[in-house]
Amino acid sequence: MAPPNPGLTHLSNALATPEQLSASSSSIDGVPSDLEASIRCAGTQLTQAAGVLLHLSQDIIAQAIVIFTRFWLGADGGSLRIYSVKVNKLPSDVSAAALYLTAKLSFQPTSPRSVLNVYTLLLSQEASPLWFVNPHGAPKQPPSADSYTLTEGGYQSARLVLLRIESVILRTLSFDTHVALPHTIALTYLQTLGVTDSAVSRRTVEYLNSALFSPQLLYVTHQPNALAVAAIYLASREQGCKLVDGEWWEVFDVDREELGFLVVGMKSTEGFMRAETEKWKGPGKTIPLVVEEVDAEIERSRMMQEGE
Amino acid sequence: MSASKSRWADDDPETDAIIAQRKREKEEKRRAKAEKQRQLEQAAPAQSANDAQTANGDSGPPKKRRRLSNDPDGISSAEEVARSEEQKKVSSLLRFPVREWGPCRHVDNFERLNHIEEGSYGWVSRAKDITTGEIVALKKLKIENSPDGFPVTGLREIQTLLEARHQNVVYLREVVMGNKMDDVFLVMDFFEHDLKTLLDEMREPFLPSETKTLLLQVVGGLEFLHAKWIMHRDLKTSNLLMNNRGEIKLADFGMARYYGDPPPKLTQLVVTLWYRAPELLLGADKYGTEIDMWSIGCIFGELLTKEPLLQGKNEVDQVSKIFTLTGPPNSQTWPGFRSLPNAKSLRLPPSSTPSSSGNNPPLLPRSRFPYLTNAGMHLLSGLLALNPASRPSAQECLAHPYFREDPRPKPKEMFPTFPSKAGMEKRRRHHTPAAPQRGQEAPELDFAGVFGGAPGGDSGEAGAGFTLRLG
Repeated sequence: MAPPNPGLTHLSNALATPEQLSASSSSIDGVPSDLEASIRCAGTQLTQAAGVLLHLSQDIIAQAIVIFTRFWLGADGGSLRIYSVKVNKLPSDVSAAALYLTAKLSFQPTSPRSVLNVYTLLLSQEASPLWFVNPHGAPKQPPSADSYTLTEGGYQSARLVLLRIESVILRTLSFDTHVALPHTIALTYLQTLGVTDSAVSRRTVEYLNSALFSPQLLYVTHQPNALAVAAIYLASREQGCKLVDGEWWEVFDVDREELGFLVVGMKSTEGFMRAETEKWKGPGKTIPLVVEEVDAEIERSRMMQEGE
Repeated sequence: MSASKSRWADDDPETDAIIAQRKREKEEKRRAKAEKQRQLEQAAPAQSANDAQTANGDSGPPKKRRRLSNDPDGISSAEEVARSEEQKKVSSLLRFPVREWGPCRHVDNFERLNHIEEGSYGWVSRAKDITTGEIVALKKLKIENSPDGFPVTGLREIQTLLEARHQNVVYLREVVMGNKMDDVFLVMDFFEHDLKTLLDEMREPFLPSETKTLLLQVVGGLEFLHAKWIMHRDLKTSNLLMNNRGEIKLADFGMARYYGDPPPKLTQLVVTLWYRAPELLLGADKYGTEIDMWSIGCIFGELLTKEPLLQGKNEVDQVSKIFTLTGPPNSQTWPGFRSLPNAKSLRLPPSSTPSSSGNNPPLLPRSRFPYLTNAGMHLLSGLLALNPASRPSAQECLAHPYFREDPRPKPKEMFPTFPSKAGMEKRRRHHTPAAPQRGQEAPELDFAGVFGGAPGGDSGEAGAGFTLRLG
C-alpha cells in the first residue's frame, strides 16, 4: 500500500483506536452499553436540535456532534457516571460545550447566553419538543415561561459550568478540534461521477446527516471520503440513478469491504432510531441526561432483571 | 459518445454495441500489455526482483513478481489479467494519514531549563522532554479570565499550527497542561535564534544571497499557509525563528486564523504596528492575505538594512512614514482608497505626475536601498504597494526573477552560525512594539495630521516633501 499522504490531513480525521472503542470510561464505571448508546444518541440529537435553534449551519453542528462523540470514547474519555470531579460531565452539558466550542472556532460564533437559553428550552420537561425529554411532544400552548427560561443566577452558574466543560473537552481531546466532514467531499464526488439529479445529492446529504446519530459511531471510525462514497452508493441506488460500471468507489480510495460495512451501518441507523423510540416510549420514561438519572436508570433496570 | 444522453443510461442497442466493442478492444489491449509485462519480467534476472523487494521494505513486497517466479510458464492469460487488475487496484488506493486522540499530557513531563522570552501572548521557556531528552520550547498560553471561556486566539493558534505542517512553519508537537485549568502549554521545536535578535547583533546585514534564502523560506511557509486558508496576521522579524543550519520558520500564530470566501467578519486590530498594511491602518474591515504580503515587504526591507523599515510611533505616524516611503496614494495607484473609513480625514497633496505606468505600482526611492538590484527593487515595490490588489501573492513572489538572478540564494548548509541567545541566557526584550490585543476597540483615527504639522503627528520629518496646509 502507498504510504499515507501527508497532504491529505485536512481531508482526514483522527479515528478511534480499537481500545477506545472497546472500553469507554462509562463502561468502566458500570454503565451498561445499551444505556450508554441510548444516552449518546440522545446527546447527538440534542446537539443537532440546539444547533438548528441557534441558526448554526449544518457543518458546525456536524463537527460539534463528532467532537461530542469523541469525548465519550476510551478509558480517558468522559464518563456518564462521575462523582469525584467537582463538575459532573452531563451529556447535555458536554453537548452544549461542544456546540459552543465549535461555533467559536467557526465563522458563526455564538454567545454562552444564546447556547444556554436554547439548552434550557430543549431540556425543559414541559416545553421541549424532543421526544426523549418530553414524551408528550412540543406543547400546543406554551407552558409558563419559568419552565423553559433561565434566571440570571441560573445563567451565571450555568455559564461557569459551560466554560469549565469546554476546557474539559479540550483537554480530553488534547486540543485537537479538527473535524473533516464528508458533505463537501460527497458533492465533489457526485460531480466527478456526472450525477446531475438533485434528488440523489439531497439523499446523499440526508444519509450523511443521519449517520451522525449512528450507534456504530461511523464518523469516528471511518474517514470522510468513505462516508461520502457509502452515502452516494445508497442514495443513487435508492433513486434509481445508474452510476458508472465497475468498482467506482476505488477511484475514491474506498475498498469494497469498507463500503459494504458503511452501507449496512448507514442503513441500520433508521432501525436503531425506531427501536430507541420504542424502547423509551411510555409515560414518564425519558432518556436520562443527568448523572442522578443515569444512576436511577441503572438501578431500575437492575431491579427489573432481578424481578424477572 | 452521444452527448444528449445520460452517461450511465446505456439502453440503446447501438451504443451498447459500441460499448461492448470498446470493452473488447480494451480487454485485448490489456491482455497484450500483461503479456508484454510478463515477458519482460521473465527476461530480467531474478536478482532485480530481490532488489525491488528489499527496496520496498517488508510492508509491501511486489506480489506479482514473487508469484510469477513460482508459477509455471503456461499461465492462462485471463487469470493473468484478473491478477494484474487486482494488483492495480490494491496499489492505487490512497491512504489517509491516521491520527488518534488522547488526553493532554502533564507539563511535568518536561523539565524547564531557562526563560527565553515574554511576548504579548505568553511566555516561552526552553525545556527538556524528560523521557526523550529532547530540547523543546514551551510556550504558556496567557488565559485571562475571559468571559467567553478558552480564548479563541489560543484555540486558533493551536488549530492552525496543527494544520500547518510545513518545513518553514514551527512544529507544534503537542499541547500539555498544568495543574490548574488555566495552565496550557504548547510544546514546540526549539530554535536557537529569532531573526530580530540576530539582526540586532550583526554588524553587517545579511549578504544578498543569504537574504534570498531567508526570504524564500519565509514566503514558502506563507504560501503554504495561504493555500490552507490561513492568514498569519502578525508577521515580523521577531516572529521568525532561526537555527544554526540556515533554516527559518514562521512562529507565533497567536493572531492567525482561517479565512474564507466570502470572507468572514475580521478585526482590523491585527499585525504589529510597524508591519501593518495601509489598508488596515485606514480601517478596512475587509482584507485578505495581502496584509501578510505587506509584512513580508517590511521584513524584506529590514533584511536589507538591518533596521525595521517603518518605525511609526503611533497609527498616524505609521501612515505618514508609509506615505513618505511610497509616496501618497492617488486614485490611479490605489482606486477606492478614499472610501476606507479612516481615509476621510486624510489630506493629500495634489497628485503631481502619475508616476506609475500601467498596473505596476510605482517604484520606491532608490536611495533607500542603494545595493538592491532592479529585480529586487521591483519585488520590494510590489510588496509595499499601497493598493493591496497590486501586491504579488506568495506564489507569485516565489516565482519572481529576483530569486533567479545572481547572486543565487545561498545553500542553507553554507549559512554562518551564530552564538545562541535563547540557549543560555535570557533573550533580550525586543524594541518592536507588541501586536495589538484582542478585544480592544479599533481606534477612530484622525489622519488630518499626516501631511501637516497638526498635533499628534510627527511634524519634524514625516511630512518632508509634501507639506500641506490644512483647511
